[in-house]
Order: sequence, then structure tokens, then C-alpha cells
Amino acid sequence: MTAATRSLRQVATVGRIVIPLLVIFLIVAPVATVLVAQAIGPWLISVLNSNIGILRFVVAITAILLFSIPAAFIIIYMELKVIAYMNLRVGPNRVLPAGAAHSVVAGLKVLTKEDFTPNSADRLVFTWAPVLVFLTAVMTFMVVPFGPGLVGAPLNIGLLYLFAVGGMTVVGLLLAGWSSFNKYSLLGGLRSAAQVVSYEIPLTLSVVGLILLAGSMSIDSIARQQSGWVWDWFVFRQPLGALIFFIAGVAEANRTPFDLTEADSEIVAGFATEYSGMRFGFLFFAEYVNVFIMSALIVTLFFGAWNAPVDVNWLLHLVGVGPLSIAFDPGQLGGNLVALAAVVPLVVTLVLAAPFYLLRPEKPVWQSLLIGFLLLNLLLVGVLGLSAYVDWDWVAGLIWFMVKAFAFVFVFVWMRGTFPRVRIDQLMGFAWKWLLPASLLNLFATALAIILLKSAGIN
Amino acid sequence: MADTIPLLGFGWNDLLFLVFAAIMVVTALAVVLQRDIIRAGGAMIICFAALAGLYVIAGSPVIAAAQVLVYIGAISVLVLFAIMLTQVKSAPRALVFQTQAVPAAVATVVLALLIGVTVVATDWPKQVATQVAAAKDMAVTLFNDYTLPFEVVSVLLLAAVVGGVFLAKRERAEAE
Repeated sequence: MTAATRSLRQVATVGRIVIPLLVIFLIVAPVATVLVAQAIGPWLISVLNSNIGILRFVVAITAILLFSIPAAFIIIYMELKVIAYMNLRVGPNRVLPAGAAHSVVAGLKVLTKEDFTPNSADRLVFTWAPVLVFLTAVMTFMVVPFGPGLVGAPLNIGLLYLFAVGGMTVVGLLLAGWSSFNKYSLLGGLRSAAQVVSYEIPLTLSVVGLILLAGSMSIDSIARQQSGWVWDWFVFRQPLGALIFFIAGVAEANRTPFDLTEADSEIVAGFATEYSGMRFGFLFFAEYVNVFIMSALIVTLFFGAWNAPVDVNWLLHLVGVGPLSIAFDPGQLGGNLVALAAVVPLVVTLVLAAPFYLLRPEKPVWQSLLIGFLLLNLLLVGVLGLSAYVDWDWVAGLIWFMVKAFAFVFVFVWMRGTFPRVRIDQLMGFAWKWLLPASLLNLFATALAIILLKSAGIN
Repeated sequence: MADTIPLLGFGWNDLLFLVFAAIMVVTALAVVLQRDIIRAGGAMIICFAALAGLYVIAGSPVIAAAQVLVYIGAISVLVLFAIMLTQVKSAPRALVFQTQAVPAAVATVVLALLIGVTVVATDWPKQVATQVAAAKDMAVTLFNDYTLPFEVVSVLLLAAVVGGVFLAKRERAEAE
């Protein structure tokens, strides 16, 4: 018996697990990583380089799947909190300040629940229907441009792809409602089929006018044509189209006042009645992802996509400055950079802490120091964010896109907090008697205007 | 990536074509042979999706998107909708409406012979360079060279819509 094993036997059980793990993590893993990287690194890089298209696609899919989780959590939290304030309640307030992590905890709760399948349900269809619903929701994300160049798959026929994949959601809802073998679920499924198929027609037709104006079905090209000022956004050239798209989009996302498919007071959550556990979670996750996608689409098509509402370059030109860029390379400083990194935070913290200490000398010193440190962090985040905003147009685009998209998510939540639900006959009548003729009128007027302008030689 | 797959000796597109074709054949057989009609509908949807994949390989993403939009998003939904309105879970699992087995067999043999003769008689080109068709080219072809067939098809569809509305209206009048 060697000395090493004898001393290992003297430590407690936890230690016997932890010490070998520490050895593995600290010594074996880095050495193995370096050796493996040395051995297959060049080969791996060459393979990845020659398949850069596939690599980009895989990375984009992973990023989109990961992004859909916080997006849905934020929307669920917004819904709980905003509607609570509209109802003069407090809303979630237990987990983190103001209950910020409430939806995360609710998601964990759903994960731990029993995953139950009713006896008479069609087991295969029942299991795969929520997957289909969630799959179509995430597949739609592939063509949504989050910023210049920040798009999963820049398709030429992006809009057509969007409507094609978006229309597949209803198959999942229908199958979920049918396979539960419950009359309320079947009613919910049938309602969703009738509603989504009816509202898809005005939704698609309202965008045809915009396609005529833009001359392209590529979402990227449509987004680029809206750069400049606020009045370059397509909502001012297609106001009727934007309105129809918004109304039909609310119906497509199954949201109030068109949430007949899950109307909890009539058919107890419709297609989702028999679902429990994570399969139920998937159905509702998909709903919130759909809300975000609808907001993102309205922003992309009609409200200027990632473009800022002000033409900054024009303003700068007016003042007499060229396009802004922070031409500063930290590498120039060389060794001084280390000294700066050590000294500047300390000095700035002290400088920021000084006024608080002078104003309130009776308080402990560490409190003013803490305030100074927090202010320093705020300052650093602000400076870094500003330089990123100016230097990289995709950061600026992402910020504007997210702000606008969540503004529309707020409108969706606001409508849920205020509107009553419509009846099924009102719903169908509105789609076929009002929205469809209005979208045809919009298409006709747009086409006529384009022809008149062309014959007059203006455009 | 290499142009051809090392062991099989043909390209990646050919492999994808074989995969999609296999999916299509299996699901199409499932549509016909399945007794559970909803599962047959599900197999039909997968079959349509595989056909859309074939269109993409053949270089026409526009037609693929239209295939998904029309066949999966609308026609399959309508078929499932109709099934759900009529189907009861405890429906008979044997063939109920099938009383014309002999004529059906004759028709099948004739159709198979026709397809076989056509395939043999056609002079297949060796290989056509796949070229991605843009939406604009398709629109120009459709509305210049093939305007008349397009209009004829639209009139046919309009007649079908009017006929459907007429049938629905007449039933309601009788009920009242």
C-alpha cells in the first residue's frame, strides 16, 4: 500500500470524492486539453473552415434555441407583473427583488411535475404534438433579423418561409386537441384550426403590398430599405397593411381578444387541458415565443427593423462631423495598459466616493467606498456600451430591435389586461367580412399607386 | 467537404435525395395502409414535407415554400379538420366503404403500365446543372408565357368556391 492511498483512506468520504476530482480538473484536464489541441487542432480548424456554412448554421440554431428560453421567461414575468399592476395588485414579489426570477422558478416547478398521459389518449400523437408546436415556433426564429447580419439563415424568400413555417403551428395544436380524447380539447383544437387558417389569409395578403413596395421577399432587404428617419418606416407607406397585420398577428398568436383556442372560462384551456408537466410547459413556451416572434415581425416589416428612428449620420453631417468611430486600440499602450488597469479603477473609485464621504462624514467609510465602486461599474458599463454602440452597427441594431420588439410585447400584454374575449362567430365574421376585403383593398391601392407613379415617371 | 461521399461514390445531394425519396415512399405507403386515419393524416404531412425537401434539392426553394404553405398549412389542416368532425375513436377498423376492389385493381395496373411506358420512352438527360430559380424568374414565366393556363386554373378554383358556398347555403335553408 503506497503512502498516497494510505493518506487518502484517512480523509472523510466527501474528501475521497473531492480530492480525485480536484486532481482531474486541475492537472489532468488542462494537460489533456493542450495535448488534444496540439494533435488534432490544425486538422479540426481546417475541417471547420471548409464547412463554414454548416458551422454558421449550427451555431445560429443553438443561439436561437438558447435565446428562446430567456425571451419566454421575460415575457411571462412581464405578463404577471404588468397585468397585476393593471388590476391594482402587487403580482409576484417573492423570488429576487420584485419577483424577477418568478417565471424561472415556475418553469422549474413545471419540470418537476408528473408527466401524465390519459388512458384513452393516442400516446404517440399526444407525445409529439407539443414538440411540433415548439419546433415550428423556433424554426420561425431562423429568418428574424436581430441586427445587421444577425440572422440565422438569410433566405431570399424569407417572408414566404416565414408564413409557410408559421402555418404549421396549427397542425400541432389540432393534433394536441384531438389526441387528448376530451371534448373540450377537441373543441379547442377545432377552434384553433378554424381561427388560424382564416386569419392566415389576411395576414399574408396584408404583406403583399409591402412586397410590391420593397420589390423583394428577403427580410434583410426589407429591413435595409427602412433606414433613415422615422418616416422612412413602412408603417407610414402601408398604414392599413400594418393595422391588418397587427390584428391578424394577434389572432395567429392566439392572444386576447382572440384567445378562443384556450379560453379557460369556457373550454378549460382547450387543447392543453389534458397536458401536464413539461409537455404542458412546451405548449405554453411556444405561445410566448410566438408572441415575441409576432412583435419582432411587426417591428421588422413595418417599424424600421433594427434601424434607429433618427438618422445620426445626417445630423452629424449637419454639425460638420464625419461618421463617428472610436479609433482607439488598447494594444497601443503596451506595458502602460497594465499600470492603467491597476490604477484607474482605484483612483476613480476614490474620486467618486469622496463627495458622499464629505456630505455624510458620520456614516461609515465603507458605505461611501461601496457607492463609489458601484458608480465606477456603472460608468464602465456605460463607456463600454457607448463605444460598442458607436463602433459595431450590430450592437446598435440589436439594442434598437430589442427595445422596439419588447414595446410591442408590452402592447400584447396590455391588450390581454384590458380586452374582453370575442365570440367565435364574431371572430370568423371579422376575418372574412372585414379583414380580407380590407387587405385586398390595400393590395389594390398599393399596386395602383406604384403603376401611377411609374407612368408619371416619379419613381 | 468532399464532393462525393468516400465509400458510396456519389454526391451529398444524391444521398439527401435518396433519404427524402425513401421517407416519401414509406410515408405514402403508411397513408394507404394505416387503419388509424389520424396517423395516416400525420404520415401524409411528413410525405408533403419530404416532397418540399426534394424541391429544395432540385433548386426551387420558392416551390418548396409554397408546398409547405399550401399542402401542410392549409390542405392537411382541412383534411384533419374533416376527419376530426366525423371520426369516432371506436370506428370499425376493417374496410367499410371499399366495395370496388376489382375495378380499383384494374385501374392500378393500367396506371402502373402507363407510368412504366412513359419512364422507358422518355429520353432522360444525363444530368442537369441545378440552378436556383429566383422568385422573379418564376413570376415572369408564369405571367408572360403561361398566363392563360393560370387564369383557367383560377376560374376553376373560383367555380369550386362558389359551388361550396352554394352547397352550404342550400343545406341551411332546408334545415330551417
